[in-house]
Amino acid sequence: MQSLINFTYASTHYRPREGMIAFLLHRISGLATLLFLSIHIVDTSLVYFYPQYYNDFIGLYRLPGFMLAEIALMAGVIYHGLNGFRIALFDLVLPSAWTIQRERLSVRLTILLAAILWLPAGIIMGGNFIGYTFLGWH
Amino acid sequence: MLVALKIKRFDPERKPAAWWSNYKLEAAPGDRVLDLLVRAKDELDGSLTFRRSCAHGICGSDAMRINGTNRLACKTLVRELGSRITVEPLLGMRVEKDLVVDMEPFLASYRSVKPYLINDEPLPADGRERRQSPAERLRFDDTTKCILCGCCTAACPVFWADGEYVGPAAIVQAHRFLFDSRDRGAGEHTAALLDMKGVWRCRTIFQCTLSCPREIKITQAIAEVKQAIVLGK
Repeated sequence: MQSLINFTYASTHYRPREGMIAFLLHRISGLATLLFLSIHIVDTSLVYFYPQYYNDFIGLYRLPGFMLAEIALMAGVIYHGLNGFRIALFDLVLPSAWTIQRERLSVRLTILLAAILWLPAGIIMGGNFIGYTFLGWH
Repeated sequence: MLVALKIKRFDPERKPAAWWSNYKLEAAPGDRVLDLLVRAKDELDGSLTFRRSCAHGICGSDAMRINGTNRLACKTLVRELGSRITVEPLLGMRVEKDLVVDMEPFLASYRSVKPYLINDEPLPADGRERRQSPAERLRFDDTTKCILCGCCTAACPVFWADGEYVGPAAIVQAHRFLFDSRDRGAGEHTAALLDMKGVWRCRTIFQCTLSCPREIKITQAIAEVKQAIVLGK
């Protein structure tokens, strides 16, 4: 807990640059993915342990807040994968490419590519959100 | 130009222990932040405490957070910052007084990588120095520039979260000897870098490289140390 307090204080008292933003997004998206997977394991396990509750639990996924969170989660998963690949590529294959200019550019390209890759899923999931929430889909 | 200098103060014997001091100083664009600090101490408040020694970017003693970024006060000109300057102590290190932080844990990490040449082989036949080609010397040239100011380690988010992380400065020192063709102590230099507090805690956030006043390619050096540990140099 003290680590989190120290980190939160310091990171809000130091001017952030691209690398810091990339790191924070990576951590947040990783934790969000972990949380979702945990929930997903629970709902799937209901089929075996309490099948009568399974449909009720799955109904949670249709709640507006949950659907919006899933759309954001999709962006997070894509970003997390791409950013992990960026770091692994530089760290394991091309250490000499770790220059300030390339690092800044690579962060921006990673965020841009993640946004482009997320767009189709975002449109489909956004359509579902509108349909189930406002148009009475079942 | 008139500069508004805002300094984070700390005195463990005072209540409250932490406060801000604000000074208005006339300064030329070519003045350094260190010049302003010295003038504030000499002319306005003798209790203001900060470290400085050579005042020319070599000793590394006046590292501090200036307008939110770690810098050396003696290498930062007023013209780079404008008329509003905020000075705070380094993050992640215990503040002793005002801008002076406890560097001992940082120096303990430095010592942990055994930052000296290790070679027990007999001297060359002529009994003189162990020779090295210009190319071999160039291999670790960048990391010889470190002045142990602490700007990089105190800018590292991993270090903020865990002060026992060995930190970028110590890894830079390990790099300097790992890639020295005369050194035979690779295992001893990297022993402190292998555990949970070592080089693998680095998340390549790049803050160290951006804050280094000597412009050392720190993230690259850390990646090379990782490679050396995994693949052998």
